[in-house]
Amino acid sequence: MTTSAPHPTYVILGSGGHTAEMCRLTQALLQQQDSQQVEKYQPIRLILASSDSTSERQFRQALPLESQAEFVKVPRSRSVGQSWLSTIFTSLWALLWSCYLVWRDRPQLILCNGPGTCVPFCYAAYLWRLLGRLPSHSRIVFVESFCRVETLSLSGRLLLPLADLFVVHWPALATRYADKKNLRYFGRIL
Amino acid sequence: MHLNSVYITVGTTKFDALISAVTSEPVLKALQNRKCTRLLIQHGNSQPLTDEETLLISKNYGIQIEQYKFRPNIEDIKSADLIIGHAGAGTCMDILNNRKHGLIVINDTLMDNHQLELAKQLASENYLYYCKVSDLDAQLTSLDFKALKPYETQPENLKKFVSAINELMSH
Repeated sequence: MTTSAPHPTYVILGSGGHTAEMCRLTQALLQQQDSQQVEKYQPIRLILASSDSTSERQFRQALPLESQAEFVKVPRSRSVGQSWLSTIFTSLWALLWSCYLVWRDRPQLILCNGPGTCVPFCYAAYLWRLLGRLPSHSRIVFVESFCRVETLSLSGRLLLPLADLFVVHWPALATRYADKKNLRYFGRIL
Repeated sequence: MHLNSVYITVGTTKFDALISAVTSEPVLKALQNRKCTRLLIQHGNSQPLTDEETLLISKNYGIQIEQYKFRPNIEDIKSADLIIGHAGAGTCMDILNNRKHGLIVINDTLMDNHQLELAKQLASENYLYYCKVSDLDAQLTSLDFKALKPYETQPENLKKFVSAINELMSH
């Protein structure tokens, strides 16, 4: 086993409201008391859609100054209003990109919340971990969108089977999926 | 309670019914009764009011109207006494995080609007109010915004989330 570059934390951003939610969660992770814990999550790599022009600035303002964050822009699986046929191709392209990035960086943790961009990344991470490219302790954490009170989002439904930790914000969802061991409800966290 | 400055926001798309409702006579009258003197409208892709209309409203109701399509709106949120908006999660969160009085107006032309779930949940916990477009004037007349609870974050829950991730990563 080579001791190459440390395994980064991937934080996957969407746009708008999703970014604000993710800022809060990442902040909480990086501003916890125990600095050794904080160190474990470095370096941070932020993945955002190539069409997203505002999330980067928003996120830079929210992060602690000393954290080493790098921003990576990736193609979107599907833009709003795109036809389903062309979605197949753009999704494949996004999946290839995700597979490449995850293979290259070997992230130890993928933290994401809702936007479609995260789906191919999580599948790629799951696949590469199975195939031994990612360390076996690497983990996928999905936080459902705050606005999902009673039903899961499409991303959520796609990722529930493979996330190591799947967080919901509201009791109705916690009750509904009480049989899922990876699904957790901590009360209101935002 | 006085609502001097009211901010209307439709979010990233459009919401024609909301724009025409807030500029209808009954709603303007209700706003006037609540001492509204300034109406800021983020109209997105809906049509803005014409200059004649804003002049007329200013003359008849003493309400100054300012409108724009899109812009970073944190200052607009902060300076408002009441925010009337669509059920978008972003708008709901802006209202809550800035401890503002909020009235969410439901866009019933959007089918299967899951965002409605959030507005309903938050209303059931008394953090904001919601209503249909057609009830806007009645609601503005009768609602007691002082009865709303200020939104508090719950850092201990967030700590539990962080601990869960720490534990997950302790290999």
